[in-house]
Order: sequence, then structure tokens, then C-alpha cells
Amino acid sequence: MRLRCGEQSFDVEVRDAEDGLEVRVNGRDFRFALDPVGPGVFVVREGACARTLHLARDGAAVHLSWGGVAYTLAEEREGARAARRHDPGALEAPMPGRVAAVRVTAGQRVAKGEELLLVEAMKMENALRAPRDGVVRAVHVSAGDAVAPGRPLVEIE
Amino acid sequence: MPLFRKVLVANRGEIAVRVIRTCRVLGIPTVAVFSEADRTSRHVREADEAVSIGPAEARESYLSIDNLLAAARGAGADAVHPGYGFLSQSGDFADAVRDAGLVFVGPPGDVHRRMGDKKASRRLMAAAGVPVVPGYDGDDQKDARLLAEARRIGWPLMLKPSRGGGGKGMRVVRREEGFLDALAASRREARGAFGDDAMVLERFVERPRHLEVQVMADREGRIVHLGERECSVQRRHQKIVEETPSPALDGARREALCAAGVAAARAAGYVNAGTVEFLLSPDGTFFFLEMNTRLQVEHPVTEAVTGLDLVRLQLEVAAGRPLSLAQEDVAARGHALECRLYAEDPHNDDLPSPGRILHLSEPEGPGIRVDSGLDAGSEVSIHYDPLLSKIVTWGQGRPEAIERMRDALRRTVVLGVVTNLARLRTIVEHPAFAAGELHTGFIEEHLSELTPSPCPPLEAIAAVAAALSRRGDTRTGARRAVPDPWASLGAWRVGEER
Repeated sequence: MRLRCGEQSFDVEVRDAEDGLEVRVNGRDFRFALDPVGPGVFVVREGACARTLHLARDGAAVHLSWGGVAYTLAEEREGARAARRHDPGALEAPMPGRVAAVRVTAGQRVAKGEELLLVEAMKMENALRAPRDGVVRAVHVSAGDAVAPGRPLVEIE
Repeated sequence: MPLFRKVLVANRGEIAVRVIRTCRVLGIPTVAVFSEADRTSRHVREADEAVSIGPAEARESYLSIDNLLAAARGAGADAVHPGYGFLSQSGDFADAVRDAGLVFVGPPGDVHRRMGDKKASRRLMAAAGVPVVPGYDGDDQKDARLLAEARRIGWPLMLKPSRGGGGKGMRVVRREEGFLDALAASRREARGAFGDDAMVLERFVERPRHLEVQVMADREGRIVHLGERECSVQRRHQKIVEETPSPALDGARREALCAAGVAAARAAGYVNAGTVEFLLSPDGTFFFLEMNTRLQVEHPVTEAVTGLDLVRLQLEVAAGRPLSLAQEDVAARGHALECRLYAEDPHNDDLPSPGRILHLSEPEGPGIRVDSGLDAGSEVSIHYDPLLSKIVTWGQGRPEAIERMRDALRRTVVLGVVTNLARLRTIVEHPAFAAGELHTGFIEEHLSELTPSPCPPLEAIAAVAAALSRRGDTRTGARRAVPDPWASLGAWRVGEER
């Protein structure tokens, strides 16, 4: 199994052991006993020390809370290495929302920091700005469109 | 005899739940309203009845005066509680409720309008002897006049739209060269957001603290204050950590500030619960900022130290009763803190992070109160404010309130949406916070120390892997006291296209 957190990747092996589970993460060994106590809640024992793990899955996303802090990991299945191509010139929606205004058109020259579009979500307008100087190659959305995170909005070259 | 026959709560989320609870205690039946996005929300289930008021878009539901009044009439309500946000500070809504023969739980429309205009409210306060930030609030809005006034006030100064709030159109101008450009930009934003481009100029106070005084006034002109709150820890001009009493005040200064709050409420002709906001400059002088003509998000800290139920006081005053307490009856005990849990991503410029709550565990224990509108399974929608819940702790003193807050935050679990929980923890665990060294730039100043690590420690990864490897493991199911947790995990997405 492989788990990813941002750019970091963790190779994990789990084996049954005499009194619980043996887990190897990037070459380091842990020995746990694991007791499920409720939906998404586990007590994890390491020697005499017990800690609580909260866990929820959403597709390949694994949400967890450990020591009072929440994290999100991505689970990579065999042969399904995440191969999302990241176009460095594409400006993506940083969150779900609605396009409130488009300030540029294809072919237009833009300066770094210039406002390209306005995305509205949760009562707030957020300006998306040019990451660098360039020319707008394409605009993929228009005012009023609903956008999901990661959707390319504007391409700059 | 209950105060009202039936109260309609014209809001959603945690504040709707909060208002419904007090009504229930007072034996007043409640009507919740809901948009299409909220049909299964907690406020809908906690009310005695609930009425649909339109689509998810707030403009067509929670901001529609016609739909709200139709719901109130249809349900036979005789009073409307507006909560905070949405129409709570709309003079038109207050008037429309009154004209429909119902009671608005809040001040009358003309008070909202008077205090909603920064120019007019500044002049009113100055005339009443309440200190205002040195500045210009005149009607002559020509560029040349504003520039001349700006020179008189000195740099840096603050440009503020006379109507409006939420930081929109506000700008700090540090030098004369940038003034006219900044003025044009602020006017443009103010026109777009508030339909009015009149500006107020104020001297910019460096490293200010944000203090506010809770007031309560009845129809006969009796006014009491319920002490101050400090709300200096902010991001994007929005408060995220609040407390009372303020660690910045001594007895004499507290008395002066609270007296100014009462004077401001008197000048405004105020009725019901309201909050007078002040800036406290590092040299100890304070200035009137604005008055919020509604219940505040952070009212629970005042309730924690005074033992009063502010919603109950609001309902009593709205029903025409005289205030049930005099100033000398108000006694504050101990210290209270509030942390606002938001669905927003500290690793993505604090942008809102909607989604579905997959797993939720809220803290409890001595001195802990959680005001929440959430359930596991609830959808955090892009249509509304991303506030999830408010965690409030009380202690004999500030250190105990902080200890309890640290513990409460550590035991709060929200999975499925990204929240500011780790950010809140780093704030309340910061030495500068413990020392009470607060100002409105606290987060910017300490930001690098306050951005938590995005990746879990190796042992947590190992524990996750161990738990994931148990998926579908039913061998031990027979002797387990509880059902296999995997039976319910991830079920939220069944049948949904991603």
C-alpha cells in the first residue's frame, strides 16, 4: 500500500503479528494492537500506550485525526499511480465556487499579480491573479459558471 | 404565559439552533426556515416546525423578506428573531416585520439605518462625547476636499466606505502619492458592494486591539452594559478568537470603556441587545468604531462570565417587558474564551473549504460549551458562511480558560472538510497569546509560527495503514461489542458521482 501526503509518499506494509499488527512505514517498524470502538474510531495500542485514531474515507482520500490534528492522505492502489498532469501555465480553481467576473480575454498580455478572475464562494470574493507575466492562451470559463477545485480556468504562456 | 405565541428564527446554522434552545426553555414554540440546501440541517430538526423558503442561493431564501414573512404568517408566528448576518441589521427587514404586525427581536428600523451609516454614526457619537478616531466624516466628497482633509489627518490613514462592512473597500494609505488612486479603487468597490461610494477618512491606528461593549436596552430607555469582550485575533478583518474580560484593561479603564458603550447606545436611541465596537490604541486611548445592531457571534463568552442568557433578555425586551436587571445586578465571574471553527484551509490562504462532514466529535467537560449547527453527514455548502461551530471555555482565571481551550481543541475532531482547528490550537498555545499581547495583526505577525504542518507523523501513517488493513476483516466481528466501523465508513459517497 502507498499513502501520499502532498509531495511526500509513504510505502507501507502491514503483517499479522503474534499480539497485533506489525507495520513498516518507509523502512521504520511499528507494532500495534488495534481495537475498533465505533464508526471510524480506533484505539491504537503501542506497548502500554493507547491513543485514539479517527478515520474517514472518501474515495481515495483518507481523512484522519491523530493527537488532535486532522490530516488528509491519498491512498494509491497498485498500478494506479496518480498521474495527474500539472500544466504549469494553467490557473486552477483553488476551491469550489462560482465565477463572479472574468477580467481577461484570450490573447491579452498580463502582468504578474494582475487580476484575472473573481471567484465567489461562501460570501467572499477571491481574486485570482496572474502568477507571472505572460499572454493569456485560453479562458475556459465565463461569469456565472460553477467551478470545482482543480478545474483549469485560465491558461497563460 | 410565554412571551410569544410562536417565534420564527430567520437564520440557519449554529445561531438558529442557539435561539431555538432558549425558546424551548421558555416554552415558546419555534419555526425554523430552510433553503433547499438545508432541508435536513440541525436547526430544521431542533425546531418545532420548519418551513421551506426557497433555493440554496441566499438572495432567494434567507435574504428574501417576502419569503420570510410569508413563512411567518403561514406558521402563525408573532415574533421574528433574525440571528446575526443575513437580514439581522437590515432596517427594511425590521420595518417589514413590524408592518406585518409581528415583533422584530432587535432594534427598530431607524436605529439600524442610523448606525449602518458610518458618517452619520461618527457624527452622532462625537456629539454625544464618545471618542471617535480623528478623521473626516463630512458630506463634501470631492477629491480636492478629501485630499485636503487627508493632509490634515496625516499618514498613514484609513479609507472606509460610509455604508458597508466586512472589510470591503477598506484601504490603508501610507503616503500622499497613493491617495487618489486608493480613493478611486475604494469608491469603485464600495459602489459595487453597497451601492454608495461615500467615504470616511480616519487616522490609521497602528497595532490596535479590538474591544467591544455588550449593551442591553429596553423600550423605556434603561440601558445596562454586560462588560467588554476582546476580539483582537482576526484574519481578513474577521474575528476568530474572542474573550472576556480583556487582558488589556484595568478597573478604571474598563469602567470608562463600558460607560462609553452605554453613552453610545443612548445616543443611538438603542433598544434590545447591541454591541459597541472600539479600537484601543497601544497608548491606552480608545475610539468608537461602529455599533452592531444585533446579537454577536461571540455573545457566549459574555454569557459564560455573567450567567445571563442574552437571547432570553432579547425576547423579554422585544415582548415589551422592562429590563429585569439593573447595572449593579450584573456581575462577571472568571474568564471565558471562544474559538471559531471555520471550514477554511490554512494551507490555501484561509480560503473556504466546503464539502461533507464525514466524521465529527465535539468536546465536552467542565467549563466547555459548544454551539454547533453540525452533524456528521452535513454538507458545508458554498452558499453560506463557513462557520462550523464555536467552542467556548470558562475558567476561574485566564490561564484556566486557556488550558481548557487547549484541551477542548485537542479533542475536537472534524473529518471530511479542511478546518482551521490546527491554526486555532497554535494561536491559543502561543506564548504571546498566553501573555495577552494581542493586536489585530497578531496572525500576520506570527503567521509563520501558526501554519501547522500538513503531514502526519510516521506513527500516525502506520496506525492508518493498520486500520485500513482491517477493512473487510469480519473474523472478530462476533465478539466485538460494536458493529464493524467499516460498515459505516465512507458510506456517504455511495451512489454519488465524484
